[in-house]
Amino acid sequence: MNALADGIAALLDPTVAVCFVVGLLVGTLVGFFPGITGSMAVALASGFTLTLEPVQGLAVLLTIYVGANYGDRIPSILVNTPGTPAAIATTFDGYPMARQGKAGLALVSSSIVTTGGILLSMVLFVVAARPVAQLALEFGPAEMFALVVFGLAIMVSVSGKSVVKGLIAGVAGLVLATVGRDPITGDARFVFGVNDLNSGLPFIAVIIGLFGIAELFDQLLTHRPHTVKPISSLGRWWPTRGEYRQMARPFGVSSVIGMIVGAVPAAGGDIAGLIGWDRAKRMSKEPDRFGKGSLEGLTAADTASSATLGGSLTTTMALGIPGDAVMAVMIGSMIIWGVQPGPSLFTREPELMVSIAGIMVMAALVSLAISLVRTRGIVRLLDLPNHYLWGGILVCCIVGTYTTTNNIYTVWVMLVSGVVGVVMKRCGFPPGPVVLGLLLGPLAESNLRRALLIDGPAGLVTQPIAAGLLVLALVALAGPLVARARAARTERRGAMTAPVHRRWVAVDHPSWRQAHASTVLAVGGDLLAAWFAGEREGSPDTRIWCARRPQGRRAGRHRWSSPPAMRRTGTRCSPPGRTAPCGCSSSAAR
Amino acid sequence: MTRSTLRAGVATLAIGALALTGCAGGGEASGGDAATYPQDDITLIVQAAAGGGSDLSARALATELEPILGVSIVVENRPGASGSTAMQYVADQDPDGQTIGFVPVEVAMLKHLNFDVDPAAYDFLGQIMLGPGVLSVPVDSPYQTLEQFVTAAKSRPMAVGNSGAGSIWEAAALGLASETGAQLTSVPFDGEAPAVAAVAGGQIDAAVGGGASASAAYAEQQIRPLAVFHNERHPLMPDVPTAAEAGFPLEFGGWGGIYAPKGLPADVRTTLESAIQQAANSPGFTETIEKSGSLPVYKSGEEFTAFVNSEYERFGTLLGQG
Repeated sequence: MNALADGIAALLDPTVAVCFVVGLLVGTLVGFFPGITGSMAVALASGFTLTLEPVQGLAVLLTIYVGANYGDRIPSILVNTPGTPAAIATTFDGYPMARQGKAGLALVSSSIVTTGGILLSMVLFVVAARPVAQLALEFGPAEMFALVVFGLAIMVSVSGKSVVKGLIAGVAGLVLATVGRDPITGDARFVFGVNDLNSGLPFIAVIIGLFGIAELFDQLLTHRPHTVKPISSLGRWWPTRGEYRQMARPFGVSSVIGMIVGAVPAAGGDIAGLIGWDRAKRMSKEPDRFGKGSLEGLTAADTASSATLGGSLTTTMALGIPGDAVMAVMIGSMIIWGVQPGPSLFTREPELMVSIAGIMVMAALVSLAISLVRTRGIVRLLDLPNHYLWGGILVCCIVGTYTTTNNIYTVWVMLVSGVVGVVMKRCGFPPGPVVLGLLLGPLAESNLRRALLIDGPAGLVTQPIAAGLLVLALVALAGPLVARARAARTERRGAMTAPVHRRWVAVDHPSWRQAHASTVLAVGGDLLAAWFAGEREGSPDTRIWCARRPQGRRAGRHRWSSPPAMRRTGTRCSPPGRTAPCGCSSSAAR
Repeated sequence: MTRSTLRAGVATLAIGALALTGCAGGGEASGGDAATYPQDDITLIVQAAAGGGSDLSARALATELEPILGVSIVVENRPGASGSTAMQYVADQDPDGQTIGFVPVEVAMLKHLNFDVDPAAYDFLGQIMLGPGVLSVPVDSPYQTLEQFVTAAKSRPMAVGNSGAGSIWEAAALGLASETGAQLTSVPFDGEAPAVAAVAGGQIDAAVGGGASASAAYAEQQIRPLAVFHNERHPLMPDVPTAAEAGFPLEFGGWGGIYAPKGLPADVRTTLESAIQQAANSPGFTETIEKSGSLPVYKSGEEFTAFVNSEYERFGTLLGQG
C-alpha cells in the first residue's frame, strides 16, 4: 500500500506534470508525421532527458510512446500512409472507411479502441507483473540465453515475404553484433584499429539509419510525384450502439493477441496489428468486408497494436529485455538514470512501477481527449510540403545521434546505415531482422558464455526454465516455417484444379486512384484490355484506358502496350445518363 | 496548428544549433595568458554517458569550480570504447587549461588491455573521489566471512561476477585470487546492476561491485557483503569489515580525479590545482558524492600523479597475469 501511495505521490510533482505535457505534445506530433516512429522520437527525446529524475524522464518518454500510438493512426486513415509500422494494419480498413466518408467515425473509433487496448494491457502489467517478477529473479544467464534465443526465433516471422532474405538479414545483424570487445575476455574483435569500434556499433545510430534515413534516401531517390490530398470531410464522429456491439468481439480477440505479442521480446505493434486483424477476420461473421472499410477490421488492428504497450512494458521492466524498439531505448535511458530494469526492479522499486502504470493510464486517457479535440485541426498539418518534412527529419536524426556520444563518428554510422538500408530495401531485404540480430546477438552470446562459465553446458539442459524456453524457441522457430510450407502446398494443390494466371496489364499510373469495370476481348487475334480509371467515379479525369497485347511471334511474350502511349485514345466520361463514344478500339487496332 | 509546428521546428533547430556550437566551443585556444587565466569557458570532458557515476562526480565538481574560477565549466560527455575515446580526445587537445577532463581508474588499466591510452600523456591535477569495492555473496550463502569464502574457494572454484571484462571489479577479483590462492572464476556482466541481481538470485557465488550498488541491495537484504576493499569501513554499511580486518590487506576502488593534456603552463596548473582542491573539499561536493555511495577522497596533483603511476604498475602485473 505504501508503494501505491508513494508512486502516485511522485506523479503529483509539478515538474512531472510539465514533463508529461512535453511528452504528450511531442508524441502526438511525432506519431502524426508519416515516417517518424515512436522509437525515433523516444531516442531523440532520451538525449534531452538524461539529466532528469527517473519519474520525470519516464513521464516524457512513456507519454511520447503512448502519444505516438494515437497520432500515427491519423495519416493511416486519412492518406493511407502509416505514421509508424504499428499502424500498417490500420490502413487496411481505416483508409477505405475515410474514402466512404466515414473518416470521423474511423478516427474516433480508432482512438477509443487504442485507449481500451492500452488500459487493458496495463491491467496485465499491474496484476500479472508480480508473478512475472517472482519468476524473473530465477532468470540467470542460462535462462536469459534461452529467452533471447526465443526472441531470435521470431526472425522468421518478421522476415516478410521471403524467409531466406529475412534470415540472411538476421545473420548479417548477428555478425555485425560481434564487432567490438569480447564480452568475457575483453579481446578486440573486428575492430581494424578503429578505436571507436571497441564499444561495438552504436545501436541507435544503426536503427535510425536503417529505418528513418533509409526511408528518407528512398524518397529522395524516387522521382514519382505523389500528391495525395487530405480528406476534407470527416462525416459522423461517434459510433452507434450497434457499431459498439460490432466492435466488441474483435476488441476482445485482439487485446489478448496484442498483450501476448507485446510481452514477447522484439515483437511489437506492427506484428500484433497484422495478426490481430488476421485473427479477427477469421472469427468475424462478415470476413468479406475486411479490407473494404470494415469497422471490425479497424478495431482489431488498432486494439492489437496498442495492447502491445502493456505487454511490452511488463517484459521490459520485469526481465530487462526490451519488448520492442521503443523499450530498447527506454532501457538505455533507465540505466543512465540509475534504474536497472530487470528481475529485482519490482521488489527494489515498487513505487516506481506504480508511477509507470499511472503515467501510462494518464497518458492514454489524455491522449484520447486530445485526439478527439484536435482531430479536425490536425489534418491540415499534412499540407506541409514533403521537402520540409524530410529536411526536418534529417536534421533531427543528425542532431539526435550526435548528442548520444558527441562524436561525429556516430553520425557517419547512421548515414552509412541509411545507404545500406536503401540498398536492402530496394533488394527486398527487411531491416527488422538486422536490428533484431544486432540487439539480441550480444545478449545471446554473453549470456551463453556466462552460463557456460558458471555451470558448464549441463546448466542449459538441467535448469527447467532454461530448458523449457529453449524447447519453446524451437517450436516458435518451426511454427511459421511449417505454416509457410503448408500454405505453399495448398497453393500448389489449388493450382492443379483451377489454374489462375496473374499478369500485369499496366503498371500503376499516378492519376489512377480508382479503377473498375475492366474487360478483356479478342480483337483480330490480339488481346485488348479496357478499363475505367481516374481520381474517382464521376471525376473529370476519369477515362477509359486501353492496352493491346499482340499474339503470336510478332512481339515478345506477355508484352502489353503501355496505356500512356495511347493517352489520346481515352474518352472523357460523361455525366450519368448520357453515353459517350469510345474510340479506343479503333485506335488500338491501328 | 501550422504555426505551432513551425514554432516547434524552429525550437528544435535552435536546440540543435546550441548543442553543436556548445560542443565546438572547447576547441579554441586562448594562448593561456598567465595573468588572466582563465578567461574563456573551460570544457570538462567526461568519458561516460550522462547520468552515470563519473558524470555525477564531474558535474558536482564543475558546479563548485565555476564560482572559484569565475568562468563557466561546460561538461561534455564523450562515451565509448571503455572511456578510451574521451581519453584520446583529451590527450590530443592543446595544453592550455581550456580543456580538462574527469579521469577514472581505467586510465591506469587500459594500456594493459591493449588500448592506446598512456598515463604519461596527461597532467594529473587532483583526485576527487573514491568508490571502494565490495565483495558480496547471496543471503543464503554458507559463507559468513571473507576468510570462510577464501578457504572454501581453495577447494572448489567460485563464480565471481563483476561489471564487465577489463573492469576494475574484475581486476579486484583477480587481485584477491592471486593474493590468497583462491580459485575465482571471473564472470563479467554488462554493468554492475545485473551482477548484483545475479548474486541476489543465487546464480553466482559472489560478486565484486562498487559500494553504491551493493549498499542498496544490502539495505533490502538481497545480498550479504563480506568485505570492503578499502583502508576503512564504508559509511553506508558500517558493520561490514574491511578486507584488511579479515586478514587480506587489499585495496581496490573506482577512483576519479581531474586531468589535462600533458604540458600545462606552470601557473595555469597551479590555478587549476588549487581550485580543484577547494572545490573537492567544499560541503556541496562532498555531500553529493556521499549520497551517491562513494567517498570524497582528495589527493593533491603531486600525490595523485604518484598514485596513478603506482596503480598503473600494479595493474600491469595483475592484468598481465590475467
